[in-house]
Amino acid sequence: MSRKIERLINLTIALLATKRYLTKTEIFNSVDGYEGTTETKERMFERDKDDLRSLGIEIEVGSFDPLFNDEAGYKIKQEKYQFELGDISSTEVSLLSLAAEAWQEASFGDVAQRALVKLRSIGIPSDELSIPASVHKLNDGGQDLSLITKAIAHNQLLAFNYLDSHLGIKMRSVVPIALSTRNGFWYLSGVDQEIQEIRTFRVDRISGAIGASAGPKDFQTPAGFDPSTAFSESSTHDFALIDVRVGKASSLRALAISTQSLGEWDQVKIPILNLDSLCSLVLWHGPDAFVQEPAELRDLLVEHLDALVKNHG
Amino acid sequence: MVKKFSAPLERTARLLDLVPYISSHQGISLAELAKVFNVDQGQMTSDLTTLWMCGLPGYTPLELMDLNFESGFVTIHNAETLSKPRSITFDEGVALVLGLDLLRSAISPERGDLLERIDLLSQRLAGLINLPSALSATSVVNQDVSGAITAALKSRMGLEISYHSLYRDELSTRSIFPIEIVKTDSHLYLSSYCHTASDFRQFRIDRIQTATVQAVQQEIPKSPIQQSSHTCTVKVLTPTREIAERFKQSELHVNTEFNCETYSTQWIERSIMASGRAVCLQSPPDIRKSIAVMAQTMLDRYKVR
Repeated sequence: MSRKIERLINLTIALLATKRYLTKTEIFNSVDGYEGTTETKERMFERDKDDLRSLGIEIEVGSFDPLFNDEAGYKIKQEKYQFELGDISSTEVSLLSLAAEAWQEASFGDVAQRALVKLRSIGIPSDELSIPASVHKLNDGGQDLSLITKAIAHNQLLAFNYLDSHLGIKMRSVVPIALSTRNGFWYLSGVDQEIQEIRTFRVDRISGAIGASAGPKDFQTPAGFDPSTAFSESSTHDFALIDVRVGKASSLRALAISTQSLGEWDQVKIPILNLDSLCSLVLWHGPDAFVQEPAELRDLLVEHLDALVKNHG
Repeated sequence: MVKKFSAPLERTARLLDLVPYISSHQGISLAELAKVFNVDQGQMTSDLTTLWMCGLPGYTPLELMDLNFESGFVTIHNAETLSKPRSITFDEGVALVLGLDLLRSAISPERGDLLERIDLLSQRLAGLINLPSALSATSVVNQDVSGAITAALKSRMGLEISYHSLYRDELSTRSIFPIEIVKTDSHLYLSSYCHTASDFRQFRIDRIQTATVQAVQQEIPKSPIQQSSHTCTVKVLTPTREIAERFKQSELHVNTEFNCETYSTQWIERSIMASGRAVCLQSPPDIRKSIAVMAQTMLDRYKVR
């Protein structure tokens, strides 16, 4: 096995060091490890090229002499092989190191560790203590983050089963445009192909494997989409007026756009994004929250309270 | 998730990355090098032995890399061709871009200089791997809070925190001695000894609203006080995703019954209330009763108008 590894490394070194394209014959004659019949060598070389490519090393094919249509030649361009971040300072290396450390034990942990080794190989010492920030850790997003980011970069179409709020499973076809994390969860935003609108999905609610395929040819990433606003649709015109006891119901207060004092109670105005989840949050606070408006929300609450009394009485 | 290479390719990649690392860390010990590359020392010695056979065509001592590691410390010479780190892969770039974005949210706005550098680095990396700028990571933890926690853990000091308890729906001020940060489900908790409660407690870090480092007595009772836990039986009437996530149940059907353990009667009361008609608490009977009473009180109030 280590013969093959030696050969791959020798091939990389030879193709990196050469100034001009090397022909196959030159490679077979000079690079250590190519043995056997011409046919065997050819097969070895083809496999080696594929292997190096899968490691991210690009082999350029060019002609030895452009005026003659002779044997193709090969080389690896230094600038493609190397990590080219331009001039980089010790502070920047520190920032990147902290960025890599955020992945400890999460999805990209191994790759981040590799990136860190490459960064440290640049030879510029990092001084992470000079950065006035403690690293938060990123949450594990499971096995799908890499697939999703690749699909974003290539406008691929993702197909997956998604758990809806009634535990129903529905197949979604989405061209992803953004990946974000918030409150410990990973979210994927994209254009839902069925309705041609942007929708946001929580990655851990995807059930089973995600399929990736070529996306629609004429796909254009919607302009001006900001993933950080995907969670706070402020376009709603429906508001609820809810009385909350003083010093209580912080989670409701956090959603309020305005608060008015009523003595022992405060009245908060909350945009309604989802009636069911707001109803559930009001119920969570029991007698410390009382809905004044709208009637729709009151009716829903009364329905649930009726059931609660009946089921537990 | 990360593409796994076959063992020989994995090793080829490691050997290629070893050269620039050793070049920039001449004289590193074999043990440390093995640790950096996450392999044992035997594997590292075998890697270095293989590398020692590689070089430019010709393969005489003039062209081979000059590696020294018999002494337990590693040096490399004559390896200029491979001495620069390899370009980053797509996944590595994504990891760094997302990590930088998270870091940005942890840096104070006053440090505009650092924020600007983060943006530039992020753009350069995205350019290297052809990534559209559509990845974002934010942290919900207040940076003053996380700074105080890190400082307290490092210096073995105490903290005074104001904490919002979701179950009791109260903001309380507590004097705690932090022990460690633990991750459960999707949240970070600060495992601590709470002097206010005279017991061990876990505080969800994103619910700590303020934190100040302070000296506290470090004496912690040897054995934690036993908390009494309640076993509850819940019956599913309408299976919904909300119920599945709230009670951490995966298989839910109509009439499924499951048990859950909790230290907090308030948690179970509030969880059942918030679930409305979707579930029914079967036991314990005293909590059943208090739910019925609470729901009736609220119902009466709505029916007045």
